Amino acid sequence: MITVKNLSKSFDNGKNLILKNISLQIDDGEFISLTGRSGSGKSTLLYLISTLDRNFEGEILINNKNIKLIQENEIHSLRNLNIGFVFQFHYLLSELTALENVLLPARKANQLIEKEPLAIQLLNEVGLSGKEHKLPHNLSGGEQQRVAIARSLIMRPKYIFADEPTGNLDTINGEIVINLFQKFNREFGTTIIYVTHDKEFANKAKRKIQLVDGEILLF
Amino acid sequence: MIFLSLRHLLSRKMQSILILVGIIIGTAAYVAISGMMLGFQVKLLDQLVNNDANIRISAREDVLTPQKMDSFNTAEHVFWKIPPSGRKDSAKIEYPVAWFDKLNLDPDVVAYSPQVNMNVIFSRNKISYAGRMVGSEASKQIKVTNIDQYMIDGKFKDIANSGNSVIFGKGLLENLGARVFETIKISSGTLQPHSFKIVGSFSTGIKSVDDTTAFASLSDVQKIREAGSTITDIAVKIADPYMSQTIAERWRFTSLDKVISWEESSSGMLSVFKTQDIVRNSMTIAIIVVAAFGIYNILSILVNQKKRDIAILRSMGYEPKDIVWIFLNQGLILGIMGGILGLLVGFIMCKIMGSIEVDSNRMTGSNDGKMIISYDLIIYLKAISIALVSSLLSSILPARFAGKMEPMDIIRSGGQ
Repeated sequence: MITVKNLSKSFDNGKNLILKNISLQIDDGEFISLTGRSGSGKSTLLYLISTLDRNFEGEILINNKNIKLIQENEIHSLRNLNIGFVFQFHYLLSELTALENVLLPARKANQLIEKEPLAIQLLNEVGLSGKEHKLPHNLSGGEQQRVAIARSLIMRPKYIFADEPTGNLDTINGEIVINLFQKFNREFGTTIIYVTHDKEFANKAKRKIQLVDGEILLF
Repeated sequence: MIFLSLRHLLSRKMQSILILVGIIIGTAAYVAISGMMLGFQVKLLDQLVNNDANIRISAREDVLTPQKMDSFNTAEHVFWKIPPSGRKDSAKIEYPVAWFDKLNLDPDVVAYSPQVNMNVIFSRNKISYAGRMVGSEASKQIKVTNIDQYMIDGKFKDIANSGNSVIFGKGLLENLGARVFETIKISSGTLQPHSFKIVGSFSTGIKSVDDTTAFASLSDVQKIREAGSTITDIAVKIADPYMSQTIAERWRFTSLDKVISWEESSSGMLSVFKTQDIVRNSMTIAIIVVAAFGIYNILSILVNQKKRDIAILRSMGYEPKDIVWIFLNQGLILGIMGGILGLLVGFIMCKIMGSIEVDSNRMTGSNDGKMIISYDLIIYLKAISIALVSSLLSSILPARFAGKMEPMDIIRSGGQ
């Protein structure tokens, strides 16, 4: 469970207030879309609740732990074992094959051998069977994003945070990505929170959070 | 993190190979140049230490002054029309027995050899040649120097077997056009010449010695000199030759005779060695610095190119120290590989140089006529250390920079 209390975030020494006193609760197993115009603060909120940005006012609790107060190594472990990220630009390591990219979190957790069958299975589930040993530049944009999704799932995390995962994809590939999120949310109970501009993709979420000028407009 | 470091290196093969070549050249150059120069120095040092006395005690030389000539009754005033001047050249050691007693008791002394050194004229038929005659007791002389090892014909001890036997330097023999077992004339210039039979020849490899010097027994040279049983020098061998200067300084306090260590008499050559070392180290450091700058530049560019990778790795739980190691490892891998290959290339270069024929009489040549190369382990350890330290130092800054990058800063800047 993620609890956000009175969260504010500003840039330029407080001159530019992006998030204004936001409070919300995200229960385990939820499937949430974060929407809003550019500059509304949706990506900022995503990075705050996902521990990537710990510079804010207010409180964020993940599994009842205040992320501002927990030790650095605990944050690294939390990201490695409990959180998966998917970014708009895929962010695959260009020197590694699809399989090696998927196994990167497992490599950090020293579970490389144990996780390899799961990595192959995940690549199969995202429709990339037979492309395990291809380098990213030999994959299409949609395929690269599916590798990134498989990578985010390799440690069977509790949470997946996705920042505009369909933003760089055509409609068909965008559809595939959202369907995969739905599938993994349904099958594994993974809490999925994704930022999107696309109304159609946003509507596929069980719960929509719309941000307007740094405030939550709609639950 | 080695896996990711290796993948980074392999993904930029040409850059990695160029840097590797730079480190190999630097390391190999250090090994080859050091091997050649140290080999030369070891040979020369051996000659300096063992071809002559470690410490030479010789008759004192004194400048004459009116005060030093003042042996008149103190009540009288002596006025010199022309004040005495010049050098009071006492051509003999005044109290040799006292020196022998002292040397016999000194634990630092391994052996000593009383000598008579004098300038002479060697004559064969109409050919005359000026040179230097060393009279010594053969059994003592071979304990003090390596002369016995440099014999080409005969044995050094042959000078003691029969009267008026002499051993010539190879060059001197050639200059006179003489051969072993010939008889030649030797005179001090002003005195009656003496006939000597050449019973052997030697070659030390030092031209100035081989072209001018002849050895005979102490008593025979004393006869040429017609100065009774006086001696002009005592050549001393010390247990630790590198203590010679300290011991010489100690002995100088208690004697008016000249006491000179081999380090003092070879100070010019030793300063050449130091200059050689400076040149060798400077040259190698210059090569390594260029390679190190190469590593620094490439890693700095790479860190900037890999910002997105750093962000994604950090978001996956990779710690700042993991990121540091990814880049530091790349420098270390290049350093280790370049260092080891550099040692190998340097060793092969040394082997090739060591097989080059040089004139055995030249100082760089070994006894078998090949160039002398040093394979001292210290050279190889220094070379690999230089490669590793320079690689490590040049990787630290970019690696630390990468480790300090925050994923949010990278993501906000769009990974640019």
